[in-house]
Amino acid sequence: MSALARLHRPATVEEAVRLLAGGDGERTRLLAGGATLVAMLNAGLVDPAELVSLAAVDELRGIGTLPDGGLRIGAMTRHRETAADVRLAGTLAVLREAAARIANPVVRNMGTIGGSISFADPAADYPPALVAADAAVEIAGPQGRRRVPAREFFVDWYATALGPNEMVTAILLAPRAPGLGSYDKLYRVAGDYAIVSVALSVAWRDGACARAGLAVGGCGPRPLHLDEADELLRAGRLGAQAARRAGELLAAAADPLDDVRASAAYRRRVIPRMVERALAAARDELSRTA
Amino acid sequence: MLHGALLGSPHAHARIKSYDVSAARAAPGVHCVLTGEDFGDHRMGAFIKDEHAIAKGKVRYVGEPVAAVAAETEAQARAAARLVEVEYEELPAVLTPEEALAPGAALVHAELASYFKVFEAVCGGNVCSRTELAEGDVEQGFRESDLVVEGRYRTQPQAHVSLEPCGALAEVDAAGRVTLWSANQSVFRVQANVCESLGLPMSRLRCLTPRVGAGFGNKMEAHVQPIVVKLALATGRPVKLVLSREEDFEIVRARHPFDLRVRTGVKRDGTFVAREVEVLLDGGAYADDSPGVLGYSLLMARGPYRIPHARCRGTLVYTNKLRFGAFRGFGNPQVSFATETQIDEIAAQLGIDPVEIRRKNALGADDRWFGGQALASNGLRECIDVAERESGWPARGAIRAAPGKRRAMGFACTAHIGGLLGTGAIVRMLEDGTVVLNTGAVDIGQGSDTVLTQIVAEALRLPLEQVSVASPDTDGSPYNWGTTASRVTYTTGRAVLAAAREVERQAKAHAAEMLECAEADLELLPGGVVGVKGVPGKTLPFVAISARAHWRKGGPIVGTHTWVFDQPTVDPKRAVAVGLPFPQIGVYSFGALAVEVEVDETTGKVAVLRAWTVADVGRAINRAAVEGQLEGAFAQGLGFALAEELVFDGPRLVNPTLMDYKVPTSLEVPYALHAHIVEHAEPDGPFGAKGVGEIGINVVAAAIANAVAAATGARLRELPLTAERVLGGLLQREAEAG
Amino acid sequence: MSTPYPLALQVNGAEHRLEAALGDTLLTVLRDALALTGAKRGCNQGVCGACTVLADGEPVRACLTLAHECAGREIVTIEGAAGRAQALQEAFVETGAVQCGFCSPGMILTAAAMLERTPRPSADEVRAGLSGNLCRCSGYRKIVDAVLRAAETGAP
Repeated sequence: MSALARLHRPATVEEAVRLLAGGDGERTRLLAGGATLVAMLNAGLVDPAELVSLAAVDELRGIGTLPDGGLRIGAMTRHRETAADVRLAGTLAVLREAAARIANPVVRNMGTIGGSISFADPAADYPPALVAADAAVEIAGPQGRRRVPAREFFVDWYATALGPNEMVTAILLAPRAPGLGSYDKLYRVAGDYAIVSVALSVAWRDGACARAGLAVGGCGPRPLHLDEADELLRAGRLGAQAARRAGELLAAAADPLDDVRASAAYRRRVIPRMVERALAAARDELSRTA
Repeated sequence: MLHGALLGSPHAHARIKSYDVSAARAAPGVHCVLTGEDFGDHRMGAFIKDEHAIAKGKVRYVGEPVAAVAAETEAQARAAARLVEVEYEELPAVLTPEEALAPGAALVHAELASYFKVFEAVCGGNVCSRTELAEGDVEQGFRESDLVVEGRYRTQPQAHVSLEPCGALAEVDAAGRVTLWSANQSVFRVQANVCESLGLPMSRLRCLTPRVGAGFGNKMEAHVQPIVVKLALATGRPVKLVLSREEDFEIVRARHPFDLRVRTGVKRDGTFVAREVEVLLDGGAYADDSPGVLGYSLLMARGPYRIPHARCRGTLVYTNKLRFGAFRGFGNPQVSFATETQIDEIAAQLGIDPVEIRRKNALGADDRWFGGQALASNGLRECIDVAERESGWPARGAIRAAPGKRRAMGFACTAHIGGLLGTGAIVRMLEDGTVVLNTGAVDIGQGSDTVLTQIVAEALRLPLEQVSVASPDTDGSPYNWGTTASRVTYTTGRAVLAAAREVERQAKAHAAEMLECAEADLELLPGGVVGVKGVPGKTLPFVAISARAHWRKGGPIVGTHTWVFDQPTVDPKRAVAVGLPFPQIGVYSFGALAVEVEVDETTGKVAVLRAWTVADVGRAINRAAVEGQLEGAFAQGLGFALAEELVFDGPRLVNPTLMDYKVPTSLEVPYALHAHIVEHAEPDGPFGAKGVGEIGINVVAAAIANAVAAATGARLRELPLTAERVLGGLLQREAEAG
Repeated sequence: MSTPYPLALQVNGAEHRLEAALGDTLLTVLRDALALTGAKRGCNQGVCGACTVLADGEPVRACLTLAHECAGREIVTIEGAAGRAQALQEAFVETGAVQCGFCSPGMILTAAAMLERTPRPSADEVRAGLSGNLCRCSGYRKIVDAVLRAAETGAP
């Protein structure tokens, strides 16, 4: 039986944070799109005393362009909006492609980027995409706002860098650079979480790779990412050899589990194969557009 | 109305030492808490009566209901159920057939010998049933063979996932008689199961069915109905209980995992000579329909082919898991996965086209089914022709795949019975000449209400809208064993047609007197009219005839018919059968299936691009409904082939949610899913019709596996064909090729 | 403990004043308080899609939406089907896309919202658009055909 006794609807982030801080720790939860939290409520997996709904916080809505040309995706932005935003192009396309692969059209109409990353399921689609794109997560808390790189935000299975009474307010993206982003997902049936996913973001200028970001989802407690692999790809201009080596490094660093979707051994086997495919496709695309 | 909730066992096998229900009873809103102590020692079961309404004395699988609560709200009932305390003494659990068959294994049912069995079960220890069916001399057959291919195959447990979870609502009247509404496939099986398990006279229980959100086998036998009736009796209040999706996965039933060894001997020219099959079934904690599934799978193990020497044996074993039971295909998909993929292996080794080898050995018009039953209709060869032609099979060598992908086609053949047991129909002409049909057959979505209505309308030459179907009701409907075994169109349709003919006869008898002519001179005219042949204008509408019957002479017009399927399955001069629980089974439908798949070389993931599913259904009374059965069965088979699996971690089901147990979506099932109907009329079927409910699922996994083998060179003998298994096979082949 | 709070809901064009606990989902309220049982509870986890209804014209999972979060939103269930949704209902019947019918309300409302955005979809667009609504009976073929048929008929 639900013990839920309060449902708050603050209008500002500051008010939401105050409500969180004024609540009873774990018994007070933020409610974003509901796609995960309400399912858990229904199943009796969480039993909050208070919910702080973010539905009325205007600041959290929508995708805006920052003064530097970067983008700010409000935490309450639905997956559907992210998947449809043409500003997420070039290096940032990885995020749009990932958003388009989350669950199904109806859930994409409900679920939010802030809710999704706060839950931090490592088999979800956003985490590797944000890591590949080197996004930052804007966080609000009792001490005000701070930014955490996505690469540091995901810390463990279903665990993030959010401190007590903190909340995600936005995703911050550096201005998009020419290049490409791609998101490849291996799944059992459409809409499932990933068995393995490969997120790639490549800045490409004058025939050279300015920056490469590669991350793998579904293969451990958090998105799998190695600076060394990124650097190999950049220096090797995404070449086949660099791709193979990067894939091997990631597979070796992976810490997957056996679960109902696949075995850990299979995931390790598939990581380099999917990485190589993603980079082959990237080379193709770059040669076409060059 | 009160709401019910259950407490499930945390143990796979344990003796129940005591209960403490005081906290649950004291919880808010609670009216009643029941445990095994409140239930008498009555057992139910379709084949072996081994199951109490609720765990009594011991628990035999994780999740088995041990206590039930009725409270003011569902939330209160669920909260109170968790307050029931049960003291257990854990017993060693047997979780696989191998463990259960090991010497000294703990017994799931120590009292098995004393249970009532509806057939001559060969059982003992943890063996629930052993069955054998044989024809010819199999050793001799293998000696005569030029090539013998053998293999071991495994299939996984599959969940039905009817979109509507199981549920029931019971109400007790002032005289203590119970009315029970529930999601089911047979009001009469519900009545039998509830009454057997509660020790109630059947006349004390009335069973009804609202619309049902699909069944596929999991609503044929009991689920929560006995417990809900008991809660209603105990409280004197209406009680409703609908399982959560998780409970529906954990405590109802699922498709049996099979372990199969199949050996086939053939001549160099591809002629089949001998087949030996040995199957081992995990039956779970209760027999349920398992002896039937075992027997039926053996009856199907020779396939729709001439194989003069065949011996098929099987063992069904009790384990401490969820009961396995009836599921569309009823053992045929499992055994066909083995036999139909083995035929492709044989064809490959002999260098014969997979379609050609099937056509060469296909049962013909004069052939008999395994066991000796004659086939009054057999459209198998036409099915093969249609699937071959429509799929473009001969030109499949020209199929090209995109870089990184492989494409190929696969083929398989099947047959399935439709029939079994008793059924009846009552066709009543109302005062205004419209007609109500009452059969007790439950339409679980497959469209039998429509089909049976069409049969009446056709027989009486009435517009469809003048025929209505009465909802199944054990008080008012004639007996109907159920919506199962692909049987309603064939068995109930026959009864309906005969009852409609009886209405025609009675109507004509009235009309003959009214028109002062001989009955033989009368005919039915369109629109509910009886007329004198060749005399325009000399007619009587049904309304006039029915008025006379109701108010003046003869009595209301009611046509009834009942019958039971009585053709023997086994001809003792041809075959030997031991422990086969179907002495009389049904008539045969036939089918063929071609599929085109694409395999991703990077990951091993398989996509089905196109499919052509063909079935000989005798006569399609409703083409859209027949196509719907074939298409839907294909989709369910696709899930079985590629993705679906109930995964157990020890005794515990780890994926009892739709998050973790995945069924195909609209993106997995190809839009290029072509259903083709072949019509070889069954002489005694209604307008020639026979069954179609299950046949479309039987060889989906086999045909896909054959296509995957053609694409990759890898022959996979274990389902599902996950990306992981396919990639493993692909890489192994590459390694072998160096 | 599950105290009911007053709630005003706009459903199918009418305002309903009722009481609901804070944890009650829209699905619970529709089915139990308003007796609108067209939205089905198939999984209560947002996966099966049988509970899909429209909120301000967009499809949402009623089982994942708290009823109190719906104040001020215009909810449409299959009982309130009009226009496109009604044309879809007819196309479903004519095409043989309904078997057990448990998925049909969610399918139809999801399709109605999809056609609002994409009035002439391809078969593959329909398949993608309905991929969050499970059907265990039909194999989807006839459902896709029904949506295409309704699209051909055009907006009413």
